[in-house]
Amino acid sequence: MSWLIEKLRKPRWSPYAAGALLGVVAILSMLIADQLLGASGTFENLAGIIGGWFSSTVSDSIYWKYVMPAAISWQVILMVGIFLGALASSLLSGTFKWRFLPDEDWKLNRGPNIAKRWVTAFIGGLILEYGAGIAGGCTSGLAISGTLQLAPAGLLFIMGMFASGIMTSIIIHGRRWRA
Amino acid sequence: MSSYLLALIFGFGFGWALDKSGLGQYGKIANVFRFKDMTVIKFMMTALCVAMVGVYGLQSLGVMELTKVNETYIVGNILGGMVFGVGMALAGF
Repeated sequence: MSWLIEKLRKPRWSPYAAGALLGVVAILSMLIADQLLGASGTFENLAGIIGGWFSSTVSDSIYWKYVMPAAISWQVILMVGIFLGALASSLLSGTFKWRFLPDEDWKLNRGPNIAKRWVTAFIGGLILEYGAGIAGGCTSGLAISGTLQLAPAGLLFIMGMFASGIMTSIIIHGRRWRA
Repeated sequence: MSSYLLALIFGFGFGWALDKSGLGQYGKIANVFRFKDMTVIKFMMTALCVAMVGVYGLQSLGVMELTKVNETYIVGNILGGMVFGVGMALAGF
């Protein structure tokens, strides 16, 4: 028992252990709830709800009627659970703290400018979510949930994601890319 | 209602795994594209291996059916992935 508590309080797990846990969660979620784990869909559901308040074009569109329903879906509740799980994990391990962007790693690579960090995060998030919309999922909803069912979609997505991510990273960092 | 409770529980496990592997940090995400920190790959590939074996094992036993296999449309998946990668490398989330 004390062994378990010690493990639960450990701030970092080996990525293999954490990954195995995610794998088990993914299996159980498909087995018990018949649902796939995903994250980007949450934002599309919520965006559909908020957009629907202002414009009937949004609430009547085929996309938010059939593809990504503008409602508090399973995915939205899943996101609440993700938040609670990460919160509990960090509180137990004592690593919980309020962080202000940019963090150390960013400053080291991209400079101390605060506005640059926030604007990049916003624009990056926008591009990322748009891409997830085109592909039909994100790192979790397509790359993990798709590939674990051996759907070609997931593997194609991983290919595209790393190909362009590496190129973008080279462009951003220039000669310091590998430094 | 019970399905919402399940969503909370599975989400809890998902979030827990993400926090324990440190994937909430900028460096972990940004540096995988620089081949400097392979946590994302180790985490993702382990999850995939475990889940593939589990899901296909259970399917062969007839315990579960794969009802929600993601649709493949080659151009969309690759193009979407490429747009996604740009955002991910930029923002580091």
